[in-house]
Amino acid sequence: MQTGEAPASMEVEAIPNGLGIQSGSLPLKPKFEPLKAHEMSDGRVQFRKVSVPPHRYSPLKKAWMEIYTPIYEQMKVDIRMNLKGRKVELKTRSDTPDVSNLQKCADFVHAFMLGFDVVDAIALLRLDELFVESFEIKDVKTLRGEHLSRAIGRLSGKGGKTKFAIENATKTRIVIADTKIHILGSFQNIKIGRDSLCSLILGSPAGKVYSKLRQVAARLAETF
Amino acid sequence: MAKPSETGMEALHHLKSTDPPALLAPSPTLSQTARTASQHLFSCLKPYAPKSPFDQLLTDGFDAEQIWQQIDLLSQPLLSTLRRQVKHLEKHPEESKIVLKKENEFLDGERKILEEKETKRFDDDVDDDDMDMDMDEFDDEEEEEEGGRRESEKGESEDESGEMVEGKGGEGIEDKFLKIKELEEYLEEDEAREYGLDRKKKKGELKLEEEEEEEEEEEDEEEEDDDDDELDDEYEDAEENARYEDFFGAKKKTVPKRKSSLSNGSDEDSGLNDDGAVEKKGGLSTHEKQLEKLQSEIEQMEKANLEPKTWTMRGEVTAASRPKNSALEVDLDFEHNVRPAPVITEEITASIEDMIKQRIIEGRFDDIQKVSSLPSTAPKEVKQLDENKSKKGLAEVYEEEYIQKTNPAAAPISFSDEQKKEASILFKKLCLKLDALSHFHFAPKPVIEDMSIQANVPALAMEEIAPTAVSDAAMLAPEEVFSGKGDIKEEAEVTQAERKRRRAKKKRKFKAEAVKRMTKKARDNTALLNHNEGNHLSVPNGGLFS
Repeated sequence: MQTGEAPASMEVEAIPNGLGIQSGSLPLKPKFEPLKAHEMSDGRVQFRKVSVPPHRYSPLKKAWMEIYTPIYEQMKVDIRMNLKGRKVELKTRSDTPDVSNLQKCADFVHAFMLGFDVVDAIALLRLDELFVESFEIKDVKTLRGEHLSRAIGRLSGKGGKTKFAIENATKTRIVIADTKIHILGSFQNIKIGRDSLCSLILGSPAGKVYSKLRQVAARLAETF
Repeated sequence: MAKPSETGMEALHHLKSTDPPALLAPSPTLSQTARTASQHLFSCLKPYAPKSPFDQLLTDGFDAEQIWQQIDLLSQPLLSTLRRQVKHLEKHPEESKIVLKKENEFLDGERKILEEKETKRFDDDVDDDDMDMDMDEFDDEEEEEEGGRRESEKGESEDESGEMVEGKGGEGIEDKFLKIKELEEYLEEDEAREYGLDRKKKKGELKLEEEEEEEEEEEDEEEEDDDDDELDDEYEDAEENARYEDFFGAKKKTVPKRKSSLSNGSDEDSGLNDDGAVEKKGGLSTHEKQLEKLQSEIEQMEKANLEPKTWTMRGEVTAASRPKNSALEVDLDFEHNVRPAPVITEEITASIEDMIKQRIIEGRFDDIQKVSSLPSTAPKEVKQLDENKSKKGLAEVYEEEYIQKTNPAAAPISFSDEQKKEASILFKKLCLKLDALSHFHFAPKPVIEDMSIQANVPALAMEEIAPTAVSDAAMLAPEEVFSGKGDIKEEAEVTQAERKRRRAKKKRKFKAEAVKRMTKKARDNTALLNHNEGNHLSVPNGGLFS
């Protein structure tokens, strides 16, 4: 127990004895200030560790500064790369403003590890309501061999145009990593993106998906 | 002629006794006897006929026709008086009985019979026909009984055939004078009523003929009833209803005579029948002919029905099933679905021209109003699917979205197309210029926070819209335009030696850089290793991988 710190942060209203306790009146409510991230777990430091897959190693090296700067500067979270364990480690500092910062940073790093670009993953830091959804092709439909390959090809499209089309229409970012698919965006947009991708996996032609996307995009644009 | 009455009677008797066939052949002795007999009769009748011009019948050297004329002259008024008498008697039957009773001296039997007949006739005679019949019968009877004054006369009139009427004795002429006369008159009157006066003579002839025939056939003076009956029957047959037997029946002999008689007698009954009353022997009756015609027609029609119909009568006929060019001969009626072309007449053209003139005067032309192709509303912005990788990061996208939501004014213009953007920018510029020209107050240019390229344009042009003065002074400072040091030479100007020198310099620089980089790398690696081994403190500079 860090007794030294606790009393320093807590402000307890001491009732002066001189005034005297009136019989029948309740004692005044204590006022507490919100806990800092640092004090959350009784002043201990919190850690997050994000493992680095081998294929993201060199991209991580390239984009390290882009990752590091916003985490350390703006989020006030300590970050370092554990080369031996191939992990990125995050730690809260004493002046970390919000308890959720650490988690956000962890998510951000994790998103990068999944395959998203830094500029895209940065949105996780900036916006609260963005999520990453991951699913596999086999969750949608069991495909084997060539069918699987064709499905993957259908998802991406020629030069990735189908994927980009979905991304642009639904304001999401999609990463197709072999049989795993990751979608980054708001909840609604993830759903739309997922529906489109699932329909593509199930076999509908790209044109059909496009038409649907167009409608959706128009509807989304109308709301603003 | 010495004893006229006697010789007359004798002549009558003689005539009576002659054979009928003998009468057929003309013989002078017979004719002489006939003449004498007729003379006798004439003289008998003379006292009762006041108007007669002849005292006695003149027969010497006279023709049968002439003799007949004489008799006629005598008998005509006599008959009329008799008729009158009979009518009178009819109206007053008591008188007749009185008369009868008065003159009941002679031949009671005959008288009675006569009476009976008279009464019978008078009582029974309701029908005219019967009356006529009776009258006729009575006439005949009289003639038969009394030597037949008329009979004899009529018989004499028909000297041609040589047939003579047998004359019965003039019995009881005087006794039954009135009676007879009245009866005669009555009968004649009735006859006249029935058929007309003309008829009387004919009837008389008819009767005469019939009498002659029948009397020749069935002579029985005494059996007056029978005779009468026969006569009745015969007369009934002849005059009342012409029966089938008369025409087509057993009596073939009498057919021609009957026909002539009947044709003279009754018009109504025998009018139609006369046409049909043709002898079957020779040819077919008209009725039969008609029937035959009908039959043949029927046969024809049946035959026609059995045969196949002509093509015009059949239903749907194609060109193959009818003879060639047959449709040309038939007057066909078509239903024309197309309205026939209007025949242009002067009136129509005049009316049209009038209409045109009127329209021109009014100025009311039915011109087609062009529909403007510009849409009334702005076209809905269709967001095109961008198939390229988005240049903006996701964060920027959401940023923009957020800005648009919260602060729409400050939000950058969202256009799908680059060209649209360009166009909008140009338009904005134009609008700005126009506004500046039109507005009285000065409004500065709106700041578009965009990476704008500073063009090396004269400064005055930027600040003043209406260029009052033109200046060469550029916006950018010279050093902004070019910040170079030393002797600047163009590529063309550079000499070979200079080129070599430049290249050497470049190489040196590059080499220095490379060395520097390598040393740095080595340094960093060692530092990292040291770092990993040692403490976990993060490097504040973050220069792990620089």
